[in-house]
Amino acid sequence: MKLGAEHLDDLALGSVFLATGGGGDPHVPILRTHEVLKRQGPVELLTPEDLPDDAFVAAIGNVGAPTVSLELLPSDDEALIALEAFETQMGRKLDAVVSFEIGGGNSLIPIMAAASRGIPVVDGDGMGRALPEAQMMTYAIRGIPSPPALACDYARNVTLFTTKGTDVYERHIRALAMSSGGMITTVEHGMTGAILKDALIPGTVSFALKLGTFLREHRGQATALFDPLKQLIADSIYGECRLIHTGKVVDKSTRIVGGFDVGNTIVEGFESDQPPVEIDIKNEYLLARRGDQVLASVPDLIIIVDYETSEPINAERLRYGQRIAIFAIGCPDFYRSADALKAVSPRHFGFDLDYIPLERLPS
Amino acid sequence: MRIGIDVGGTHTDAVIMDGNSVITSTKVLTSADVMEGVANALDTVLRDSGLPSAQIQSVMIGTTQFTNAIIERRQLAETGVFRLCLPAGRGLPPMVDWPDDIADAVGRHAYPLHGGYLYDGWPVADLDEDEIDKAIADAKAKGLKNFAVASAFSPMNAEPEQTVAARLKQAIPDAHITCSQSFGRLGLMERENAAVLNATLLQFADTVVSAFLDALRTRNLSCPVFISQNDGTLMSADFVRAFPALTFASGPTNSLRGAMLLTGLEDAIVVDIGGTTSDIGVLQGGFPRESNAVIEVGGVRTNFRMPDIQALGLGGGSLISADGETLGPQSVGHRLTTEGLVFGGNTLTATDIIVASGHQQIGDVSAVAGLAPDLVETARRKMLTILDRGIDMMKPGAVDMPVILVGGGSILVTGDLQAASQVHRPEHAGVANAIGAAIAQVGGESEKIVSYQSIAREDAIAELRTEADARALGAGATKESLRVVDIEETEVPYMGQDTMRVRVKVIGELASSTAEAGT
Repeated sequence: MKLGAEHLDDLALGSVFLATGGGGDPHVPILRTHEVLKRQGPVELLTPEDLPDDAFVAAIGNVGAPTVSLELLPSDDEALIALEAFETQMGRKLDAVVSFEIGGGNSLIPIMAAASRGIPVVDGDGMGRALPEAQMMTYAIRGIPSPPALACDYARNVTLFTTKGTDVYERHIRALAMSSGGMITTVEHGMTGAILKDALIPGTVSFALKLGTFLREHRGQATALFDPLKQLIADSIYGECRLIHTGKVVDKSTRIVGGFDVGNTIVEGFESDQPPVEIDIKNEYLLARRGDQVLASVPDLIIIVDYETSEPINAERLRYGQRIAIFAIGCPDFYRSADALKAVSPRHFGFDLDYIPLERLPS
Repeated sequence: MRIGIDVGGTHTDAVIMDGNSVITSTKVLTSADVMEGVANALDTVLRDSGLPSAQIQSVMIGTTQFTNAIIERRQLAETGVFRLCLPAGRGLPPMVDWPDDIADAVGRHAYPLHGGYLYDGWPVADLDEDEIDKAIADAKAKGLKNFAVASAFSPMNAEPEQTVAARLKQAIPDAHITCSQSFGRLGLMERENAAVLNATLLQFADTVVSAFLDALRTRNLSCPVFISQNDGTLMSADFVRAFPALTFASGPTNSLRGAMLLTGLEDAIVVDIGGTTSDIGVLQGGFPRESNAVIEVGGVRTNFRMPDIQALGLGGGSLISADGETLGPQSVGHRLTTEGLVFGGNTLTATDIIVASGHQQIGDVSAVAGLAPDLVETARRKMLTILDRGIDMMKPGAVDMPVILVGGGSILVTGDLQAASQVHRPEHAGVANAIGAAIAQVGGESEKIVSYQSIAREDAIAELRTEADARALGAGATKESLRVVDIEETEVPYMGQDTMRVRVKVIGELASSTAEAGT
């Protein structure tokens, strides 16, 4: 299909939902992408089957602490500078681009870059959600090297990474993000179509669009949204869907630590006899607990929405006093393999607990 | 005794309250110059009550003039917008996402400049003296007097904004300047937009406040004068000269609070039907339910916190199609009393339908005698359906809730509302906004830069809460009514490790006889 300016609002709404709190504020990326699509025409959204095996593809997106996206406004040329530097380094032109993560602003940047260059964007991403670190991407888990990678910061400084191993790469780009105002645009994971198909979470761009349209049409209380949402999620790669809590934010504390937004939030239930739910945040909502009881954990998705409108709320916009609902949704199967869990289990984030899939947790 | 005044687009209402009881009330048409209406309303309530001016302890005014000026794009001064954020945000000038008509009205005088801070306290770029001089010279040559200044991470460090504001003031001594730092939290574009909307209203605010004070002075009312703020608290009238944007959405807040006082209901849906729109809001525990969304004012994204209001295009002056199937959103508004059929005009309005249906006797009943009964019935039922759907969307749960009807247009509701457990039409419902203004609350704020290495976070917040409480109490709040409405933390890394700017805001009910000061 063709993605045009008319799709952006729904696509952004759906991808803020899948962002599980991270991915960055989409407002400026929507404005930017809108402008480019108006000027250059719609962009081709390529299904993985239609992607030639020998096509040259790379992943593009922003790396950093999402709070920064509210103040350090992205520029119109950062993505293109990074893309061109990447092509120069590799000595060949890209045939298509693909997303790091289908989440918030990061789901729009590949579309903007693809539209500017008149190349397609692949329908799929490297997370099926948003996650904070590079080695958590399906591309990295499948062993596709990140470098050579090119990064561009707010002041047009361009940096080349030729690090060995994704863990080291993550430490290095994070260090650059920290010292470049907290947010950089990077192009990485140069790969062939055949390699990408093996690592991709497929269909997530079109699903985000479908989900966004659904959320717009079902705008209203989260409790009323739940049943139709459950159906939509059951018919997708995500499967399980639960409404785990409704209540009011009574505390929210995040700080920019090591290039991430890190902290937690406490949500008191509307029914006063219910203990509050605490959610740990590292860019994304990672772990939801009521007392000692785990309600949902990474890599499954934890989503906070406005209680009245069911509009998803990114962590950087979550505030004291907001009335919200919390949904939990199963992650794509990819992340339940032993290899993937080595990178994304709760233990990896420093929580002393093993991953239990959402559908096996007591509800 | 207090006087509450509500200046709306169509009507100006006034009440005199003794504690929580209404002594007298009046409703007059808002005059073209606004102040004649205010003067009429004041004279009427003072005369009707027979009270000497000296018995009035305070006057509280709620006004939609500033919101309406933004929405209708009038009274707006051309405004220069200085944003210090380059080299970040290239190609994304101030006002880029504004609707064209308001961007034109404010003048599209955007000056993106180098400066501002990064999250870690490093400069985005150093201020460029030449660039600033050129921008100021250009603004001066254009004759601009109004300015908004915004810089990246100014809630953390506002120095770049202050520097440029000082330079502007030096070059243009009669400049009116709003710094975005005054509008709080992170979110550069929304904070900047709030500052621009404020800056563009500054002359108008000055005129309005002076006119209010004059009207009161000539009636020997020398008591304190307050104006209601979007969060339901009061500001001193003089404060509004500098911050007119803080009055946005105070109207719906006042109408919700007034409805609560009139019925004693703390959990209810309030439907305020005016000449052009029906505003539906929700009372929860006695307070307006707040919206979580980014609030747009006149199509401009801002960072204000406001009540969650569903506005439907249905009011007493709404136009009715010939078959009765289409109602509003076009309305004759305040011209209802000349253009409506029952008032001798030629336009079929919602009010005419209600008179034709026999539910009300207003104006010349014979003027609508010839309307087809089918048309009248279709349109009358349609009004109920529209309101039912709106109420349904706002209900906090599946359970039906009591509905309080306020505003002059509440005559449009002629039967049962399906979505309501009970419909209340309290006495004085027509002046609920003025009552809400009169019982407005007082706020207390406390802000401090603290290091969490020397004081635990919860202790720091508790200390600030105590200080904020003390300020609210000092301003006349009752102790048992105090509640925290906002806690904000912004990292200020350049001040040291673990260092935060923390702000706590509390709100409380005004003790019935006092009103000392607002923020």
